[in-house]
Amino acid sequence: MIEDPQPEPTDAFADGGRVLLVFPARGDLVVLARLVTSAISARAGYDIEELEDLRLAVGELCLLALQGSDARHGELQLEFVVSSEVIDISCTLGGAAPAPAGGNADGVDSDQLSEQILEALVDEYGREQQDGSVRSWLRKRRKGPLA
Amino acid sequence: MEQVFQIHEAEVDGTPVISVQGEIDVATAPQLRECIHGVIANGSRTVVLDLLGVTFLDSTALGVLVGGLKRCRELGGEFHVVVSDARIRKIFEITGLDKVFPMAESIQGVNVSAP
Repeated sequence: MIEDPQPEPTDAFADGGRVLLVFPARGDLVVLARLVTSAISARAGYDIEELEDLRLAVGELCLLALQGSDARHGELQLEFVVSSEVIDISCTLGGAAPAPAGGNADGVDSDQLSEQILEALVDEYGREQQDGSVRSWLRKRRKGPLA
Repeated sequence: MEQVFQIHEAEVDGTPVISVQGEIDVATAPQLRECIHGVIANGSRTVVLDLLGVTFLDSTALGVLVGGLKRCRELGGEFHVVVSDARIRKIFEITGLDKVFPMAESIQGVNVSAP
């Protein structure tokens, strides 16, 4: 079996780039967001530690967007905007109704945990509601020059 | 290659040990919650959660763990977490949960005082 080699850090996004990923708003598909984030971050020259931080942070972005919504009929749209020094990622949940009232199965404030994780891993993040959609976003600057 | 999510239950010196492999996220966390609740419902008040085989963990997973900790404490028991991977440990540290859970780097290093 031939394994795919890890992508070498490149300046593939040196002139900037934009990637859109749209998928049904299902928890089992959030892994797609993490996979695409890994691929884009590696090609944009982020090191392995930054890449792992971004992978975790994007999962939390999706969770923040999904939180409080009945997303069974909605879709998540992730937009990656990459420049030479910064990656901006936004996650928009569209087409979902508010979730029916109900207790959290674990009695834990999941939003707070997500925000603690984002606070530690990225430079800026936020969440806003607009025209019936929920949008969460993050910005992370690259630590050093391209390898 | 991505590791398949698996949960395995065993008993070490009379204490239930739940071992997880793969990624614990919004999709797989409900299976872990069900397993923890099942172990406690079967009469255990202390649980050891072995995360040595876990490659990814998000806030949903942490929520499940905190829920398990609360249940065990209500019964006068303990909820121990076994982690050695620096990436996984970092998630506990940035959320402050490394101060909340009794943590060990190996099953042998777990010190159960309320079996």
